[in-house]
Formats: sequence, structure tokens, C-alpha cells
Amino acid sequence: MNKFLSTTCLAACSGVLILGMTVSSASANEWPTDDIRLVVPYAPGGTTDVLSRRVADLLQQELDTNVIVENRPGAGSTVGTGRLARGGRDAGHTILMASPGHTIGAAIYPDLSYDPVEDFVFLQNMIDIPNVMVVPASSPYESVIEFVEAAQEENMTFSHSGVGSSIHMSGELFKTLTDTNMTAVPFAGSGAALPALLGGDVDVSFENMPTVLSHIRSGDLRALAVTSAERSEYLPDVPTLAEIGEHNLDQFITTAWFGLIAHNSFSEEAQSVMQEALAKVMEREEFLDFAEQLGAEPGQVSGEEFKQFIIAEVERWDGVAQQAGISQ
Amino acid sequence: MENFSEVIAIFFSLDNFIAIALGVVIGVVVGSIPGLTATMAVALALPFTFSMQPVAAILLLVGIYKGGMYGGSITAILIRTPGSPASACTLLDGYPMAQQGHAKKALKTALYSSVIADFISNIALIFFAAYLAKIALNFGAPEFFWLICFSLTIIISLASGSMIKGLMAALLGILLSLVGLDEVFGSQRFTFGNYNLMDSISFIPLLIGLFAIPEIIEFYRKKALPHIKAKASGAGLAFSELKRCMTTIVRGSLIGVIIGAIPGTGATAAAFISYSDARRRSPNKANFGKGEVEGVAAAEAGNNGVAGATMIPLLSLGIPGDVITAIILGAFMVHGLTPGPIMFQENLSLIYALFMGIMFSSVVLLLVGNVAIKYFSLIADIPKSILFPIVLMFCVYGAYAVNNDTFDVWLMLAFGVLGYIFNRAAIPAAPFLIGFILGPMFEDNLRRSLLIGHNDLSIFVRGPITWAFIALTVGSIGLALYRFISARREARNIADKA
Repeated sequence: MNKFLSTTCLAACSGVLILGMTVSSASANEWPTDDIRLVVPYAPGGTTDVLSRRVADLLQQELDTNVIVENRPGAGSTVGTGRLARGGRDAGHTILMASPGHTIGAAIYPDLSYDPVEDFVFLQNMIDIPNVMVVPASSPYESVIEFVEAAQEENMTFSHSGVGSSIHMSGELFKTLTDTNMTAVPFAGSGAALPALLGGDVDVSFENMPTVLSHIRSGDLRALAVTSAERSEYLPDVPTLAEIGEHNLDQFITTAWFGLIAHNSFSEEAQSVMQEALAKVMEREEFLDFAEQLGAEPGQVSGEEFKQFIIAEVERWDGVAQQAGISQ
Repeated sequence: MENFSEVIAIFFSLDNFIAIALGVVIGVVVGSIPGLTATMAVALALPFTFSMQPVAAILLLVGIYKGGMYGGSITAILIRTPGSPASACTLLDGYPMAQQGHAKKALKTALYSSVIADFISNIALIFFAAYLAKIALNFGAPEFFWLICFSLTIIISLASGSMIKGLMAALLGILLSLVGLDEVFGSQRFTFGNYNLMDSISFIPLLIGLFAIPEIIEFYRKKALPHIKAKASGAGLAFSELKRCMTTIVRGSLIGVIIGAIPGTGATAAAFISYSDARRRSPNKANFGKGEVEGVAAAEAGNNGVAGATMIPLLSLGIPGDVITAIILGAFMVHGLTPGPIMFQENLSLIYALFMGIMFSSVVLLLVGNVAIKYFSLIADIPKSILFPIVLMFCVYGAYAVNNDTFDVWLMLAFGVLGYIFNRAAIPAAPFLIGFILGPMFEDNLRRSLLIGHNDLSIFVRGPITWAFIALTVGSIGLALYRFISARREARNIADKA
């Protein structure tokens, strides 16, 4: 009896599992015919995650369908992106929040299983966030020039949030352009990197603006420059690196961008529906307020222009990675 | 006084109470389901908080966090499947207790220790946040390195039966923790070109496999394990027993508070450190791992002590100490608040209202936990022939749910086999887990220290915190050696006399 019960129960449970895994969705005519999955190739809680959840919430209202956020972290976003690139049954309803890791990953992992340009369609760049070159309040350096001159003499350290992050690559770009001695010190995310910077264990960092803005305002960190093309309205007194004009820094323009991409099998109908919805999302007051909270500018490019931007970025980081010797 | 009335006005709103209660209930339920962690629940709840008032939004997330931290212990105790990583330590004594028919006692111990630890942690948050945050800032890579060294010496005290087997298990844990991308260069280690291994071996499938599966294999192999019909619910926790555990709970809570205040260590490590500390001091040392009430109390006090304290670096410095607080940071930012020193100047009333809510959540946890125990402990009365297939289903589901990938299901089953071998060969699983958790922290902080110090070794002795941890590490190893030698001598004396 006991054995019978056990076998029956085991069989029933297997049934439930198989059913759960194979259940298919109802079909209709117009896209979207199913729930939309928004893949975040990073762990929950970071800028990409918070932004994605905000966008998913608004997109859900625009498209009148469920938008489910899925975190697939790992290897500087290449794990999640790789999964998207493999396509599959859900690819027609899956979008991914790409960020600089998408183009940098291509530069530092040459055996990547996907092509960062050809395997995807590019929907909309949602926001741009500048990075800020910050030093601890206790640092003797008051300006970029002072810092560069010192770093050409002695070895400095810069913290970053993981190999291939925009923070890491900004540091490497700075090092290459200014011909300085700097050692990269990796941390598991910006949260872990921040104490080392605040405590003065590392000399400098090129952190994302939202991570350090409150510390700059409270005086615990000193901003030497921002990395965007224009000064940031949040730190109007801080110069851009391009403004410095010396040490090749006029070439240093980079932002952390966050944009939605999809597998290249994403239908044209889906692309146009999605782009239209995203354009509406970006006009929403909730979205603009949110961007402001992050110290971000709404993204400018979509579709083909977005693709051209990606091509240029891939090329640029490829060069930096090779010069810095971090290409695998 | 004007501020006080403002605080009261912000706190006493129905939304806040609903948010806390709902959060704790969701947390307990989700936490108790293997594979669904409090982290996932907090991440999933985040979008719902966008339209809420800031205090209610944060309290909902905090409620889930705290409920989840406790909820994980329920399945750890009842079916040897930790609902969340932090409760892996709880099952070491919790499950044996349940098997002996003391399921209810184990669950109550876990609940009371959790609530007390949570309360102590909250007190630390409210009164010592600024002070503890300062200590946390002085905790750089070298200090971290020595903390991990000290924690690794725990393995010695946990390798209960055979030291050799304990060390073997620990080394295997460290070896497996190396799989994935190297932190400094980003190069692949032992991934064999497999995508799924790039981000290291997932912890949840490992845990589920290691603990739950061997029980199931054992059951089907032996077919008829006697089912203990102790009305498994059994007796609750006597006041005298709680009193006996009180010192352990308070000590575990303080360990949790310190670990929680330092960004990046986490509740799982805190539970193990507290557990081994309790074992080292307890007169019932031999009973640890066999169903010791104090063991459950220590583990739960350790992991719940972390909960309030992780808010310390978050609120006072704007630094998230773990993934959950990172998500909570996101929730603050969505509401236009930036945690950090400035928030204490600009939004003081809001912070105090938040503190009141956090304190209140401990009370809610006590109430919700008691109800949960009443119903969950019935699980212990279900015949294993019915229970185990359901557990197996949850194991498969839980492993799959982490990354929505069948690879993790295979991984879970592989660790199930490993766990079974461990059981048969009497190799303790705790040192294996500690190796797996602390191994990467050891390596990363060692290399980070060397990078920061430009390869100058003097960075490892740079200040009082490093000195203190070096002393503790050396002392801990010395004490273990002394005990080992004197135990041998005693054994030899007895043998000689015989």
C-alpha cells in the first residue's frame, strides 16, 4: 500500500512538473501574443535592474500585456545576452536591457558565442548616465591635471565593479590615453567597491554618477571630472574630461548607456509595436522623473542609429582592451 | 517635539501596517519554498512599490526580507531542504530534532531566536548605526582577508568526527568554488567552455542537492524507514530551554550585527560563524549536529542578526551590503530618496518612521511565525512515502527556478549524489559549505589586498583590526591544536591503563 501510494504520488508530481514546463500559451493575431520577458543580464538591485523594472512597469501599461523581468546575471552580461542570442521559442517575445557590458564583452571575450551586432535588433536606447572621475576627500589631488602628473610618476590604483564593466574600461581608457601607471582593483559590484574608495584604499574611480552623487554632495568624495560630452546638470561645476584638453583626454567621451535589444528573429511587426510603445514610455512623466533620480539623460538613439552607435562602441572598446592587454 | 509628531504621523498609517504584515507573510511563505529566496521575492515585489508611499514601500521590502530569513528555516528543519542559503546551517541540528519528533520545538526555537536576533539587530541599527558604519568603512580588503581566515578556522571546530574528513570536505568546497570567471583577469576557470559554469556553480541547486536529495535516495534505498509518529508537531519550546539558549542567541545576534554591518559578507557566513562559536562554548558540544536546541538557536540568531544590521551601511553610507539591500536601495531611489549621510539631514522624520516600522516588523514576525508553525509543523506528520515525492518535485522546481535553466536541475542531482556519498562515508557537509562560501572571499580579498598594497605584504598588518583578527586566528588554531593533542594524550592514557 505504502509503495503504491508512493509510486502514485511520484507519478503525479512528475506529471505536474512536465505540465508546468510544457504548458503553451494561447495564440492570438496581433503582437504581442504572449507575455513579454525583459531579460536583465545582471543581478537584481543594480542600475540596470532598477531601470528595467521601471521600464517593464510602464511598458506593461502601454502594451496592455505582462512584462516579466528576469535576471540572468554573469560574466559581465555575456551569460544573459548569450542566452538571448541562442534564440528559441520565446525569442519573439523577449527583450534585453543591454548596457556597455554588451559592447565591452565583445572586446574582452573573443570566444563569445554570439555577435554583438548581427545577432540582435536594436530597439531603443533608454538612458545615458555619465561616469564621474572621483577621488576620496582625503586625496591630495584637486584636478585631473594634478592627478595625471602624479600618476605618471607613481603607481596609482583605481577600483571598479568587475572586469569588463564600464567603470573598469573607463579606467583602462584613461590609463591608455594619459599614459599613466594605474592598477585596476576589482570588486564584486559598485556596492562593494565604494567603501574602498571612501576609505581611501584606492586612489580613484570612474563610477557611475548615481552611485557616487550623494557622496560627492556630502563631501566624502571629490569629483574631478565627468566623462560625458557635456557637463552634467547635476554637477555643473565639474568639468568634462574632454574639456581638460591635455593628455589626449579630448578623446575621452563615454557614458553608461542602457537600451533595449532583441534577438534578430524579432519580427518587424514586433519591432515597430515595441519602438512605438517605448517612445511613449519615454515621454511619460514617471519615466522622466526616474531618469532624473538616476542623474541620467533620456536616450537619443533608436533602430538603425542605435545599431551604428553599437558598432562604433564595439570598435572602440576592442582597441582599449587590446592596448590594456585584457583581451582574453 | 515637532519632529516627533511628524514621525508619528508618517508611521501611523494603515498602509504601513498592511505593508509590513503583507511583507512578512510573503517572506515567510516564499522563504520556506526551496529555490525561491527572499532575494527573488524582494526583486519581484519592487515594481509594486513604485506607486506606494516611500515608507510603506521600504517596509514591504524589509518585511519580505525578514520573513524570508525566518521562512527558510521551516523547510530546513522539516524536510532537510534549506528554503534559502542562510538557513543551510539551521538544518544541521533542526532536521535531526524534527526526526526525533521535536519538529515543533525546533521551529519555535528558530522563531524565537530569529525574533530576538532581529530585535537586537534593529536596536543596533537605530542606536549605533553611525558608529558601526565607521567601523565598516575601516574594513578594507586586508581586514576582510583576516576575518575570512578566522572564519575558516571554524572548519576545525565543525569537523566533528574526523579532522581529515572535515578538511577534505572543506578543500573540495574550495575547489568547486573556483569554478567560474577569475575576478581579476576575467579568465575562465574549470568552466570547460560551458556557459552555465561561467558564473560559478549556483549555490541554491548545490544546497538542495546536498541536503534534500540524499534523504530521498536513502528512503527509496531502504524503502521502509520507520516513520516517527510523535505527532511530530510534538512539544513546543519550554521556557527553561529558551533561557538556556539565551546567551547563545544574544552572542549569535551580535555576531550577525557585526557581519551585517560590514558590506559583502552575508547572512550565510554569519549563521555558520555563530553556530561554531556556540558549539565551541557549549557544554553539550557532542550533541551539536545531532539535534541540539542551542545549534538551531545559534544558526538562526546569526542569520537574523544580519537583517537589521545590513541596513546600517545602506542608510548611513548609501552602501548596499548584499543583494537585497541593493534592491532596497533601488526602491529608495525610485522614490527620490538617496540613502546616505544627506538623508539623515534632509529626511530625518522619514528615517525615524522607518525605524519604527522596522521595530514593529519584529513583532509581526513573531505573530506570523507562530501561525506558520502551527500549520507547517503538520508537514512532519505526513508519511514519507507521500512527502518525499512532493519534496523531490520542489527540489527540481527550486533548482530550475534560480536561473530558469535545466542545467541547474542536473547540477542539483549531481550534488545529490555527492551528498549521498558524503552521508555514506560520514563526511560532514558543513565544512564543505564553509569552504564553498568562504573560499572565493578568501581569494578575492587576498588578491585585492595585494593589488591595493602594490604587492607590499605589510598591508596585511596595517592596523588594529588586522592585528585583532590575526590574534583571533592564531588563537583559534592554537586552541584547536591544544584540544586535539590533549584529547589524544588522554586517549593514550586510557589505553595505557587498560
